[in-house]
Amino acid sequence: MSDAILARPGARVVDEPRLPRSWSPTRVAGAVVLGAWAGLFWFLWVTGREALYLSTRTDWIVPVAAALLTAATAGRLASAKVTAPKPIAARELWIMGLMVVPVVLVVFSHPATLGSFSAGKRAGFSGTSFAASAGDIGSGDLTLIDVAAGETSPEGERALAKRAGEPVDFVGFVSIRDDTPADEFLLARYVVTCCVADATIAEVRVVDVTPGQFSNEDWVRVQGTIYPLGREVIVDASEITAVERPDGPYLTP
Amino acid sequence: MAQTTAQLPTIGPSRVADRRTVVGVAAMLVAVALVVSVGDPGRIAWVRTFFVIFGSLLIQALPFVMLGAFAAALVEVFVPIGVFEKLGVLPRPLQLPAAALAGLAFPICECGSVPVARRLMQRGLMPSAAVTFMLAAPVLNPVVIASTYVAFRGRSTLWTMVGGRFLLGMLVAIAVGWVVGNRTKDQLLKPNPEEEHEHLLELGRPEARWRRFFVHLGNDFLFMGRYLLLGATIAAAIQTFLPTSVLTGVAARPVISVLAMMGLAAALSLCSESDAFVAASFVQFGPAAQLGFLVFGPMVDLKLVALYAGTFRRGFARTVVLVSAVATLVGALWVGVAFG
Repeated sequence: MSDAILARPGARVVDEPRLPRSWSPTRVAGAVVLGAWAGLFWFLWVTGREALYLSTRTDWIVPVAAALLTAATAGRLASAKVTAPKPIAARELWIMGLMVVPVVLVVFSHPATLGSFSAGKRAGFSGTSFAASAGDIGSGDLTLIDVAAGETSPEGERALAKRAGEPVDFVGFVSIRDDTPADEFLLARYVVTCCVADATIAEVRVVDVTPGQFSNEDWVRVQGTIYPLGREVIVDASEITAVERPDGPYLTP
Repeated sequence: MAQTTAQLPTIGPSRVADRRTVVGVAAMLVAVALVVSVGDPGRIAWVRTFFVIFGSLLIQALPFVMLGAFAAALVEVFVPIGVFEKLGVLPRPLQLPAAALAGLAFPICECGSVPVARRLMQRGLMPSAAVTFMLAAPVLNPVVIASTYVAFRGRSTLWTMVGGRFLLGMLVAIAVGWVVGNRTKDQLLKPNPEEEHEHLLELGRPEARWRRFFVHLGNDFLFMGRYLLLGATIAAAIQTFLPTSVLTGVAARPVISVLAMMGLAAALSLCSESDAFVAASFVQFGPAAQLGFLVFGPMVDLKLVALYAGTFRRGFARTVVLVSAVATLVGALWVGVAFG
């Protein structure tokens, strides 16, 4: 005979008594880590600091991640009471603590961007596949992206050469290398497509600079006249003014 | 009757966390906060560069790990097992290509595909098919195809890069799946102690679906997150100290240039949804080398090797690295000869 219990339709089913639940240390610790990361993404979104790490193309992931992580934290906490909680291993707790370290680093460190230290280590920006076509370079206001694109494609180079002698107005940071003459500096700006890890650099040589007036990392606005010389672009500065670092320090192609 | 906490003083050979451990972890976090806010190590250029790159890698990749964990938890809790068994009824020669093409339906990057593949194996999908899916999804997914198109738009090599990436990515993923062969999930997957722990917790009374969903979601995120952390640390260190110009000197040598770009892809550990833009920026390199970058990077990079090492048993990462490196090199060189 079968051991199955059959209930008559409409019969009242009496549930077995619920076992008492108590907090699972593993699940609570996991919820703390998830919550910390959720907090970080909310922090980035509210303060606008995501611009220091991501391009404008990808910054949408910040609020999405904040919402998902918040939901995951709430769900984890809501399911953190179990019938048979087990203690958490000390090693596991230390690992979870280490997972919160990046959150602490980002929240408590002073806002920073890539600077001149990386300038010599980054590949030059290639604008050949982006909006900076030869047509774009040939007309309208010149941007640093146009200039960088012109430095890396033959068509762009020709289009840029036709703009020689025109006025330009660029904002970037000062990069001075060992071989940079005293009356020059490189005006640089990172071009970020996705996140800072894929940053490439766009830079022009600024000449006719008062020696010693600016140092590495200073953000400046350079107004002057552009002279593309093959793959190098020179800006003869008529006015250089110190400016605050822009809210969006990286360019997005 | 349920066991009480008092009856379970240890977890395997590990020491159980006590109040001192909690205080120690909290003290470490407070110390880090004090050092970075008061000491301001960001004044030192290389430290600042490392922090920014490390932070950006995590901030960009973690949401995708979360999405992957979300998809994996959905698969685990809500998708009937029969869906995966359907792949198994296909003729054997079609199983791996079908698994590779399934990547078209899942817009997940490489960080997210690892937990999904792990879950698929646990749900009964053939390990070789799950591995094929894991490697193919980050290359074949629609977002990656679109970003590759945008990155190479306007160049004569546009369709070589888009089509080559799709086809070569699929072939390399199938090759790795084929080498994995008939190995079982127990031979491939590392046990996750936390998961075994959770199964014990479910004894007595099965947990509600929504609870299981959130438990799996959190476990996968925490499991993958720690390896991503390790990979991001290494990748940020390399990006901070290695000038990319070092590698551009080898661009003119056919085989060396492909190997160099594959190595660079592995070192940079970029997301497959963004790497085409970086590959396109290396204008000194030909299509074969750029293709090597685009196919190899989403399958093998520093953060992925760390993820593989945490997810799979010893030897699996070596298999993936070797087979995908050889297949990518041969395929990219052929593309270079045929279309370069």
